[in-house]
Amino acid sequence: MANTRKRSFPAALAFFVIISAITIIWSGPFLWMVVASFKPQTFGGLDMASVVPNFMPTLANYELAWMSADFVGLYINTLIVVFGILSVQLVTITLAAYAFARLEFPFKTFLFYLFLLQLMIVPPILIVPNLKTLVGLGLSDTLVAVMAPYFASAFGTFLLRQTFKSIPRDFEDAAVIDGCNWFQILRYVLLPLAKPALVAFSIVSVVAHWNEFLWPLMVIDSPDKMTLTVGLASFARAAEGAADWGLIAAGTMIVMLPLIIAFTLFQKQFVNSFMFSGIK
Amino acid sequence: MRIKHKFASKMKTLATGTALAVAVLASGWVAVPQAIAAEKIKFYFPTSVQGRLAIIMKEVVAEYNKSQSDVKVIAVYTGSYAETGIKASAAMEAGNPPAVAMVGANNVLEFVQKKQIEPIASFLKADNKTSAEFLQDFWPGVRFNAMVNGELYAVPFQNSTPILYYNKDHFKEVGLDPDTPPANWKQLIEFGKKLVRKDGAKTTRYGLMFPQQVGYGNWILQGFVMANGGQYYNTEYPGEVYYNSPTTKGALQFYDDLAHKYGIMPDTVTPSSQVAADFFAGRTSMMIASTGALGNVRKNAKFKYGVGFVPGNVRNAVPVGGASMVIFKGQSEAQRAAAWKFVSWITSADQLGSWSRASGYFSPRKSSYDMDVMKDFIAKYPDAGVAVKQLKYTKPWYSTYNYLAVAQPMGDAFQAVITGKSSVTQAAAAAQAKADELLAPFNNVAGYPTK
Repeated sequence: MANTRKRSFPAALAFFVIISAITIIWSGPFLWMVVASFKPQTFGGLDMASVVPNFMPTLANYELAWMSADFVGLYINTLIVVFGILSVQLVTITLAAYAFARLEFPFKTFLFYLFLLQLMIVPPILIVPNLKTLVGLGLSDTLVAVMAPYFASAFGTFLLRQTFKSIPRDFEDAAVIDGCNWFQILRYVLLPLAKPALVAFSIVSVVAHWNEFLWPLMVIDSPDKMTLTVGLASFARAAEGAADWGLIAAGTMIVMLPLIIAFTLFQKQFVNSFMFSGIK
Repeated sequence: MRIKHKFASKMKTLATGTALAVAVLASGWVAVPQAIAAEKIKFYFPTSVQGRLAIIMKEVVAEYNKSQSDVKVIAVYTGSYAETGIKASAAMEAGNPPAVAMVGANNVLEFVQKKQIEPIASFLKADNKTSAEFLQDFWPGVRFNAMVNGELYAVPFQNSTPILYYNKDHFKEVGLDPDTPPANWKQLIEFGKKLVRKDGAKTTRYGLMFPQQVGYGNWILQGFVMANGGQYYNTEYPGEVYYNSPTTKGALQFYDDLAHKYGIMPDTVTPSSQVAADFFAGRTSMMIASTGALGNVRKNAKFKYGVGFVPGNVRNAVPVGGASMVIFKGQSEAQRAAAWKFVSWITSADQLGSWSRASGYFSPRKSSYDMDVMKDFIAKYPDAGVAVKQLKYTKPWYSTYNYLAVAQPMGDAFQAVITGKSSVTQAAAAAQAKADELLAPFNNVAGYPTK
């Protein structure tokens, strides 16, 4: 353990028990899903809810799920959407956050709060107006249409503005003395110091748009432009009948896999980013 | 400067990302060349009974596209019934409607009210038919929901009713005749009590379960209310519901008794996926569910199961459910013709019959059942025949203005009764008050829309 503070034994035990309990509760559904995805027949039998594997694992569910949709196409579309949104967002939030943190202009605070109001709008309300705009621009049924409403992010701007504000002015003053203009200050002073916040925001953005369902469903008509969540729903959802849990679990695993791998590989960096962006 | 160097590389990545985004943006603006002779039309369809039907639907459309060269149908999966409704409506308002959509049979009213769909009569005129002649071949029970104010707006495609499924092995085990399902509420209680298994205070097997999520549960409740002699909405006018009527309260009281007095069904809210899974796992001996689940039950029940009419009280009655094909306004003349061509094909006796065999829904056309393939199928699976025999008791699906919102308070009411959080009297009164409030804006204003 990295924690160097020494705890008394009862405190350590209590800490251990609480953390274990949270971990078990949190990971329960996920573990069940992993087990269910390898289960041969997932309807009959009272053991359907069992988390303990008591069967010969089978890949049949994965095979069926993989055959049920064009996952390669779905992955590509989702990656384009997720990283397309993120790359534009990083530019827009950086510039907006800099303006709100450092520049002086009339009604600055009022405008900032107005901007933050965006966070309080429930996205489904905007479905029809957004669709109208996109159809007007001739963008309906394109991946750009899936991305466009998210190009500006109130949350990202807020997060980055707070980060910029926490960076001492002295750094910038030193840069100004060295002859930097505002863009150089942003580029060489503020952004490197805001890296943890940028990483934290990127994770939130990628996960949110990876999981998004309703908006892509509304915008996309062509099957070859569908994203992962819509593709999964097209074969795994049940309205009136029993859910085929094995198939649902396997399909969900396929959808989640890239995120899980990415998180496992970069876990340390991610956690650090969240810690830093939180502490500062 | 180290910091500078490191950051320069970071900025490069950022720049690449932006370039990528710009490239993607640009690609979206490039028009796709349309050098195809066939008339392209879009067709929205929701997930129906089970997810895999979405895949069968794509195959059906592919078959149609291959069978002729005039029309090319692009089948678009659009989520649940509710999401399909939202998407079609939103697309229409945005000026980009689909040509054809499969919508919940009781949603037709809403599309008509918003003036978004075409009356079918205009297409029938070309075929020299009246709506009445066209409807001749459809079961009387499915006609009502396709019509608004005497005008036909939809072609029924897949239809269902609630039906009783029971575990014959369990019936034998407790000494009941496995070929005689309960015929009325009294027998339902009598059989149910025998079928319940307990381990101490814990029930390990229930007598009966049925779906109780809002929406599906409302549909099932409608069956109970009608079986009790009533109707919990005004069938003549979609702006009024009878949530607080004696027949509705009687049905709710029956729920209360099943859950609390007799312990025949759980006193928790059971969604459809749980009901079916519990039936397959032997944790409930009977279930009431859509006939649309027949295909699923056939495939997954590992025991002998039987199918019977939903038990009646003062009468037998079940609501019809399912989905219909509608054609959207805002199409070119060629698209309109293509849309009707496709709808005619997919709602032919032949296609409806094969969809019925694949799904478990019944075919809304009577003539589907005159075909030899269908006769052979029913001989092999008598349960499909029971569903058809029950058709003479079908009544329309409840359809009101602002349907989803109006269904919610009744959903809350029966859930509160089942869980014991509310008495029948309280729950029914609260549901009525809320529904009246929701329907108030529709009353005393111009009624049915005209074309």
